[in-house]
Amino acid sequence: MNEMSRVGERAAPAVAAPPSRWEAATPWLFIAPSLILLLAIGLYPVIYTAFASTQSWVMGMDPPYFAWFQNYENAFTSSDFQDAVLRTAELLVVTLPVELVLGMMIALALDSARFGPLRWLLQVCLVLPIAITPSVVGLLTQLMFNEQLGIINHLIGVLGIGPVDWLGEPASALGTVMIVQVWEWTPFVALVLSAALSTVPTDIDEAALLETERWWPRFRDIQLPFMWPGITAALVFQTAFTIKEFDMIFSIESGGPGTATETAVMQIERVAFRGFDIGLSSAESIIMLVLSILLARLYIRLFYREMD
Amino acid sequence: MKKWGFAAAAVAALGMGGAAHAQNWSLAQAAAPYKGVSITVVGLDRPSYQAAQKLTPEFEKETGIKVTWDIFPYEDTLKEETLNFFSNSQQFDAILSDVVWPVNFADPGWVVPLKHFTDNPALADPDLDEKDFFPVWLASFTVHDTLYGFPFDSYAGLLYYNKSMLQAAGFTAPPATWQQLRDVYLPKLTDKSKGVYGYALQSARGETQTADSFTRFLWPWGGQYLDIADKKILVNDPQAQAGITFRQSLVPYMPDGIVSDDHAQVVALMAQGKLAMITEWSAFDSTLSQSLGDNLGIAPEPKGPNAAYSAFGGFAYMVSAQIPEKQQDATYLFIQWLTSKAEAKALIDGGAVLGRVSADTDPSEQSSHPNLAPMVETWRTSAVPDWRPQLECYPGFSDIVSDWGSRIELGEVSVKTGLDSMAASLTKSMNSADCWSKSNNPEQAIALYK
Repeated sequence: MNEMSRVGERAAPAVAAPPSRWEAATPWLFIAPSLILLLAIGLYPVIYTAFASTQSWVMGMDPPYFAWFQNYENAFTSSDFQDAVLRTAELLVVTLPVELVLGMMIALALDSARFGPLRWLLQVCLVLPIAITPSVVGLLTQLMFNEQLGIINHLIGVLGIGPVDWLGEPASALGTVMIVQVWEWTPFVALVLSAALSTVPTDIDEAALLETERWWPRFRDIQLPFMWPGITAALVFQTAFTIKEFDMIFSIESGGPGTATETAVMQIERVAFRGFDIGLSSAESIIMLVLSILLARLYIRLFYREMD
Repeated sequence: MKKWGFAAAAVAALGMGGAAHAQNWSLAQAAAPYKGVSITVVGLDRPSYQAAQKLTPEFEKETGIKVTWDIFPYEDTLKEETLNFFSNSQQFDAILSDVVWPVNFADPGWVVPLKHFTDNPALADPDLDEKDFFPVWLASFTVHDTLYGFPFDSYAGLLYYNKSMLQAAGFTAPPATWQQLRDVYLPKLTDKSKGVYGYALQSARGETQTADSFTRFLWPWGGQYLDIADKKILVNDPQAQAGITFRQSLVPYMPDGIVSDDHAQVVALMAQGKLAMITEWSAFDSTLSQSLGDNLGIAPEPKGPNAAYSAFGGFAYMVSAQIPEKQQDATYLFIQWLTSKAEAKALIDGGAVLGRVSADTDPSEQSSHPNLAPMVETWRTSAVPDWRPQLECYPGFSDIVSDWGSRIELGEVSVKTGLDSMAASLTKSMNSADCWSKSNNPEQAIALYK
């Protein structure tokens, strides 16, 4: 009986003992170094910039004092800042679609079986513009597009076209910046889209190929739906890169001629490190940060779809 | 009688003491307490600093003071130095000041008055001879009657010309006036179909537009930037309008992309024989003479209808006030050595340009460096230290000038509209931060050194 009852008595399920404080803290301790680092190098500057944006603070002159939202008012009413933001928007609106279309074409070409062994060479060529330091790209642009001394005018001269004042006229200078921007960043978009294309399941793609050999229905109905997360990532990254673009444009002609190629970030740098107005430049930086976040949210809402 | 005798003996003793100090002072002895000290010197990527870096090992060997050069592009130097001071990072010991920055460094107390060192017999070289610097240069680095820096890398605006191009056009001498340059020389020297131009004016955005392109056509026509006493901006007065209108009349004779060209581009065009004349800083002599050789002619800048006022720019070395005293003394010894009469000729031979009278007027130096004679003439007769105003707000001030100056040169606005807008922006900027009171008038200091 005793034996039976011992057998019949099922062992009560073991109730896990509540974790000790040490055990509860362990996951936090593992992520703490990276969390602290992230807060120190990511969050602290943003908080400090937000704080500085409320100060009337011109470095080297009078001591800073709290000025509420005066800097934001000055930024919103500054025609310099407005023009620079519009110029940045112009740069973004023109270059982003071109980069996406060209990047998609390159990604599809890389995916095509026709290129075979050339694919490796193409991938290497794509990395080159990304690998060159943007300031070097700017200096090369300055030399190559110089009206008198540049190789671009020499080459178009061979074709019988007269010299173009690429950098001396406001419109053509901004156009030149756009050309170089597209050259520099299209390969990055192509690589992101190429990675997105590789997420298309092979069996589905092969089944689609049995249905039709025409590329457009295959692209529209099979490949594109799987690529939306990659396209969204490319849009978010490229928007951020374009809004932040500084060294390449600065090296070409410091935002000139006049202010023809001065983007918002360059205007902020000018206010901060030529005029030393830290309060105003911080307010302008916060405005641009908010704008970038809003655009990223908009892209995600409009384009992000996950395929099961 | 006894009293007079005692006084004479005292004077003689003092004199002998002074003479003895002069005889006894040596750099090695003065530097003995600072052996092993390391100092950091701010420099630019220009010939004067390259010459200085070549000579630096001699100073290190003699003193035991270790010198590190930190080289920046001109455009970044003020930013780097201001951030160094503002964060009290003590990164730099010898501070490089452009002629337009002394008030930015002196007013907040970031640099030490030189008197602190020159009054110390243990540090002051008896052969320093301050009077051997051109007065206009010492005045440029004097803030409210106190000298803060010894001049180094001193420029005069000069007219560089291609002798054979001028001769081929029938000219035996360069133009003496701007009027002559435009009306007589440029029509004969410019042939756009062949890509050859009579003159080019570097006008890239930033200090090049402000200093080289805009200011150059202000003073010779009787214009000025401002009247500090009356708190008035003068850039749109009739004289300034006449000067800038004249500048616009030169544009058709220049290469098309000139508004985006900086020093490097116009110097390269001149070196390639595509330009007959440029007005450039004396620092570019070595670069141009390397490519044009004997074909390079150098003269003072042409005169304007009002007077001869050439471009004026350059630098000085100052001692940071934020570093420990021992470091300050070692830094002073380096600056004193670098800007001394004794080193001047070696520096000039190495490609530097200096405001030292004895070296610049030395006949043997003048014969081997043809830029020296016109430089001396310019500094003696046609240079003003406030060619660009000395204001704490100067960086923002210059930005406004550069912005509207470029728009006018591009033809986006008329001269009058552009100058009126520039004046309005400058007035707003000067009034907003009380910039009028944070200014310096170096012109007044010239009397101290004459």
